Amino acid sequence: MPDSGMVETSRPKRGKGRPRNADGAAQSLGTILNLVRSGAAHTRQELERKSELGRAIVADRLATLSEIKLVDESALAEASGGRAPRLVQFNANRARILVATLDQTALGVGIADLSGRLITEHHEAMDLSAPPEATAERLGTLFEWLLAKDEHSAPLWGLGISVPGPVQLSPGDDFLQATPTFLPAWEGFPLVEQLARRFSVPVWMRSSVETMAMGELHAGAGAGINEMLFIKVGKRIGASFVFDGKLYRGAQGAAGLIGHLPRAASGRTASLDVLAGSDMIARDGLAAAQAGTSPALADILNRGGEITAIEVGQAAQVGDSVSMEIMSRSGHLIGQLVATLANMLNPSLIVLSGSIAQTNDILLAAVREAVYGESHPLVTRDLRISASRMGSSAGLVGAAKVVSEALFDPSFLREWVTHGAPTAMPRLLAALDQMGTAAIGAPASPPAAAAPPGA
Amino acid sequence: MSISGLGPHGERAAPPSRLSLTPSDVTAARDRRFRVAVVLHTGESDWSRQQLAGIAGTLGDCGVIVGEVVDCGFQAATQIAALERLSHEGLDAIISIPVANAAVAEAHRQVSRAGIRLILHDNVPTGMLPGADYTSLVSADNFGLGLIGAKLLSDRIAQGGEVGLMTYGVDFYATNEREIAFGRWIVANRPDLKLRTIRFPSLGAVRETTLSMIEESPDLAGLFVVWDTPAMEAVATLNTVGHDMPVTTVDLGRDAAICLAQDNHIVGIAAQQPFRQGVAVAEATILSLLGRAVPSWIALPGLAVTKANVADSYQTVWRSQAPQEILSAL
Repeated sequence: MPDSGMVETSRPKRGKGRPRNADGAAQSLGTILNLVRSGAAHTRQELERKSELGRAIVADRLATLSEIKLVDESALAEASGGRAPRLVQFNANRARILVATLDQTALGVGIADLSGRLITEHHEAMDLSAPPEATAERLGTLFEWLLAKDEHSAPLWGLGISVPGPVQLSPGDDFLQATPTFLPAWEGFPLVEQLARRFSVPVWMRSSVETMAMGELHAGAGAGINEMLFIKVGKRIGASFVFDGKLYRGAQGAAGLIGHLPRAASGRTASLDVLAGSDMIARDGLAAAQAGTSPALADILNRGGEITAIEVGQAAQVGDSVSMEIMSRSGHLIGQLVATLANMLNPSLIVLSGSIAQTNDILLAAVREAVYGESHPLVTRDLRISASRMGSSAGLVGAAKVVSEALFDPSFLREWVTHGAPTAMPRLLAALDQMGTAAIGAPASPPAAAAPPGA
Repeated sequence: MSISGLGPHGERAAPPSRLSLTPSDVTAARDRRFRVAVVLHTGESDWSRQQLAGIAGTLGDCGVIVGEVVDCGFQAATQIAALERLSHEGLDAIISIPVANAAVAEAHRQVSRAGIRLILHDNVPTGMLPGADYTSLVSADNFGLGLIGAKLLSDRIAQGGEVGLMTYGVDFYATNEREIAFGRWIVANRPDLKLRTIRFPSLGAVRETTLSMIEESPDLAGLFVVWDTPAMEAVATLNTVGHDMPVTTVDLGRDAAICLAQDNHIVGIAAQQPFRQGVAVAEATILSLLGRAVPSWIALPGLAVTKANVADSYQTVWRSQAPQEILSAL
């Protein structure tokens, strides 16, 4: 939804403290906003000291930021003798970020504030092999529901999508102007273009293993951790690395595709995905159910149920010996590779994620056994290995962080801050126009405030 | 029946059978003499009374004392004050139904920080994580309940009609799931129908919401209300103004069951199993207090109830005979 009302009202007026060129104003506005947003400065005095800008300029920029409702100075800070200074706070409720995770078997959506904090989320089963048009329409419907449910009715400023495959970005890319390649079945489908046009906002996209690692780093087990190895176990097995508190993407955004590495097991050589991923777990579980060697899985099959990796994991959890063996075999294969990575990277935390890892302790135990057994003592001395507690929420939190950091990236912020909102930025408006032809069929107008789910 | 929905963090549901107590668990719990408090969103619904019966009975079997039951009256401030007070009373566990989302999240987190096991029922405020902020969530398959409500209503709606979705204006996981599922089923299975969403901010506003809905959409062909208490208020309002329309809802409360049997607007109910959910909540509490691993989300399926099976469904849900008003109407 464009926040076009801000275009006129936010344009800096000439006055005391104003620099003579717009670039200078944008730069100092960005500097001050990011000092407030990051919590590095809480009062005008702290802003003057940390920004090295004069009192008049700080006062003027704060007036502009208050005018566009990005900072709030209504509260008082604690007094340290004398009059209490005004507290300068970032208004995270100024606008909203929509996020989604597309997974092989589920769709998750959420709405977040400008700090990247999730406000509401929803997850539902979905088959990603269904036609992309249907999935994109469902995504748009759920996004409209989230906006209608938002009690602040705040404008939308950005959209983040997490997808189950590496996302190639060109150097210098900020928001996307075309859908990058992320899954063969979605090749040529203009997902980014449709969403950008439908909601009139910039769109960002990252791989699910990246967003989940980001989410875990900011709101999960990785909070405060600088060196983390994140492993996602599903149909595909992927890894993400955090070094010095920052996510490493690799030259093409393809870092961590460990599922492609060849492994040997049971007399054959194949990729880790094939030998230890959820397809293998489901296949071996189904064979055990059909052969009657697993009473728990045979019972599910006899009642007309489907055997997926989840059922095998749940059966293992309640002591079904064949299911335990299948999970343990997968865990050891993954663990051996994770041990190699741990020896190379020396992380302080390894987080195992994905629905199988979270429903099953045996996989985690097998990975732990392999890593502790095959790593240098120094590597494992203070190493923690845990299962994610965030589940698919990690991908949503991570996608919101991607958007939040991109919106307030100093160079991007400088470009929109004088327009009052990123949705009023001329470069975005031009890009939306260009994307128009790719989004034929999508509604041209923003969603109605009370649009129902599925409407 | 299978579980249609996913958990608050996208989890797959674990069945309540995962919580079965062994004789040694019961003995161990009896030896420890645990003390527990229950914090309800309301104590005024049949659903609450049934699930409390399941909780108290099961805990009693294991020698666990229910020291206090708090009725929050749907008020976040009441719940926050209750949780703050209970956190200092040396309890082993608190079973709570969060009445809101972000507003009550911190008060619930403080329970866990105080070293008290926190078992949630029906709702998880966004951002709270299992294993860190709470032990486990037990709920109905709320997504599945919405699907049942849509299917039962659809059977009564002619081609091309408009149906109403009367939902709670508060951000609440359980009612959100029902609302989303209802819409999804209609779009997928009855694309000929128009869907109109109406939100009520509180139970006290249901009558007014119903009246404005009738005024704005006089041709509405049917209505789904996200739980039975507001549904009964909507039905009473429809009767007052003499407006006839089929209604489906969630929860087999006594009044809703009677309306269903007597053909008083209600044509179908997606029933939770509150007594069994209460038993599961109590079992999850005991197992976690004994240091056993419990799944992060345990869900129970809903039941599709029509006039044809209302008497036996009533017995299943209520664990007692259906009232005479139901039996004599069949």
